[in-house]
Amino acid sequence: MRVSGRKEGGETRVDPWSQAWERAAAGAVAVVDCGERIPCNPCEEACTRGAIEVGEDICAPPRFDPGLCDGCGRCVAMCPGMAVFLLDRSVGNGRARVTVPYEMGEEMRAGREVWAMDGEGKPLGKARVVGAKKRGGRAGTTLVTVEVDEGWALKVRGVRDRLITLEAPLEAEAEPLKEYPLCRCEEVSGPRVGEVAAEFASLRSLRRFSRVGLGYCQGRFCQDMLRERLARAREMEEGEVGTFRVRPPVRPVKLGKLGGEDA
Amino acid sequence: MSLPLEEREMAVVGCGPAGLCAAITAAKTGADVVVLDENDRAGGQLIKQIHRFFGSRRHGAGKRGYEIAGELERESEAAGVEMRLGNTVLGLFPGGEMMVEDRDGVYVLRARAVVVATGASEKGLAFPGWTLPGVMGAGAAQTLVNLHGVLPGRRVLMVGAGNVGLIVSYQLLQAGAEVVGILDVSERVGGYEVHRLRVQREGVPFYLGHRVVQARGRYGVEEVSVEEVGGASRKVFRADAVCLAVGLSPLAELAAMCGCRMVYSRELGGFMPWHDGDMRTDQPGVYVAGDAAGVEEASVAMEEGRMAGLSAAEDLGAMGRKEAERAKDEVRRFLWELRGGPYGEAKRRAKESVHCA
Repeated sequence: MRVSGRKEGGETRVDPWSQAWERAAAGAVAVVDCGERIPCNPCEEACTRGAIEVGEDICAPPRFDPGLCDGCGRCVAMCPGMAVFLLDRSVGNGRARVTVPYEMGEEMRAGREVWAMDGEGKPLGKARVVGAKKRGGRAGTTLVTVEVDEGWALKVRGVRDRLITLEAPLEAEAEPLKEYPLCRCEEVSGPRVGEVAAEFASLRSLRRFSRVGLGYCQGRFCQDMLRERLARAREMEEGEVGTFRVRPPVRPVKLGKLGGEDA
Repeated sequence: MSLPLEEREMAVVGCGPAGLCAAITAAKTGADVVVLDENDRAGGQLIKQIHRFFGSRRHGAGKRGYEIAGELERESEAAGVEMRLGNTVLGLFPGGEMMVEDRDGVYVLRARAVVVATGASEKGLAFPGWTLPGVMGAGAAQTLVNLHGVLPGRRVLMVGAGNVGLIVSYQLLQAGAEVVGILDVSERVGGYEVHRLRVQREGVPFYLGHRVVQARGRYGVEEVSVEEVGGASRKVFRADAVCLAVGLSPLAELAAMCGCRMVYSRELGGFMPWHDGDMRTDQPGVYVAGDAAGVEEASVAMEEGRMAGLSAAEDLGAMGRKEAERAKDEVRRFLWELRGGPYGEAKRRAKESVHCA
């Protein structure tokens, strides 16, 4: 059994894929590839056999007991991080089955040929789908099982119906642009605001002078950016710069709705 | 001329997870509650969240966001909450008086308790070309894709590798777009590892330590230039959309308008009304909950909403102090749990500094 580790908060975490290897010889077993402290525990609830335990502290990474797992796949469908898989080596003949959660648009069905992908999105090679079932009702997740060469089994993390080759960005320089508006509503130049910002002691006075934030959106998009520029120009903390004064209405409203002859 | 006046016991502004939970909690104690929201559907941002949620069962973990929205809406109906969608609150004034716009006109609603649960807004990022069609907030892209079935572009560059950037990237892939890269000025991915891994396994490249220089195009974005922070390397992407996932700011203008003292926390997204652990602001009868009280997760917003609902019910006399305290202790325990782990602890510390500010 190969055991490789990944550093996790100072401790070396045992690679769950390698850990599942032995047990997978007897049939499907879950691979719980989740080691970060985040508040989440649906996997614990999904498992009816008590093989996955998170416990009182819901940030604790799940503890998994392969001996209790029957490979049902409920946790694979339930995991919000799509971080649970199944590994099954019982087919023998140097082959293994890997089950992955699938939420892309293509229809997956048994018999179909797909690409088995690794964790970096690189194709490992073609694989045949031996099972595809939707778990968890209408809003469910499809569990796709592919049969692959045993040598790949620890690397498969996803399937794809066709390969997409992303065009790499050009290592080049585009003709530089300088001008841009900081305030879209009032079309106030960003570079110009940067030039004058240091002369203003407050966000409110800079707003009145520049008209940034006095347009239709009332600063919902530009207030943070104006604050950041003023803070930088005056070497202040953003918290010290303060906020715009807020006046009603906070959303644009037709004057006719507020009153008038026909109101 | 005077505007029509309506008097109610409690009003909640914003019908997202925080507002709905505040309304449900207070209505269950017998309080008369009306919820106002400018949108036509209940659930706030939940209705466009097609991914399964983190958290625990109490917060709908393992369910998709829009399913949670549906559940909360049904629960609020059952609790007797009056839901007024398409009602925009234009102003909130001392004494719990608010100016509300509906389809027909404007009316004044006075409530003895007001919960401001107005959520957050996306931060912008200004660079040459940021006003070109195709540059938009990641949340806006998510609305286009998941609510309207429209792709923001065929080739999208995502700016920001936090949870929002990662989740929206995945959803753009689900909708059939190519994500040509995820960019972040930081050298590390800010979002959860599981989110990074599932985007990565779809072959999306990460450009960490990079920033956007400019976007160019004739009628919309055609190419985007990026550069290594502090380095000489420049790259030009062919892309027709740029999504900005560079953070959220609490949206609490109504609280500011009625006199709430605003305090700043970088960790929680910017300025928010000062509030105590029970979600009371410094203005009597005004409470705040959810992202408007500092940007965190939806599960936290639900618990803060419950807390605000309990405080309001207690102050209205719909609930005894002892009973309210018992219920609040439970909420405090959940909030403590949700703010665990390295991501949560930073939020917890920031929240504590807001309470003490």
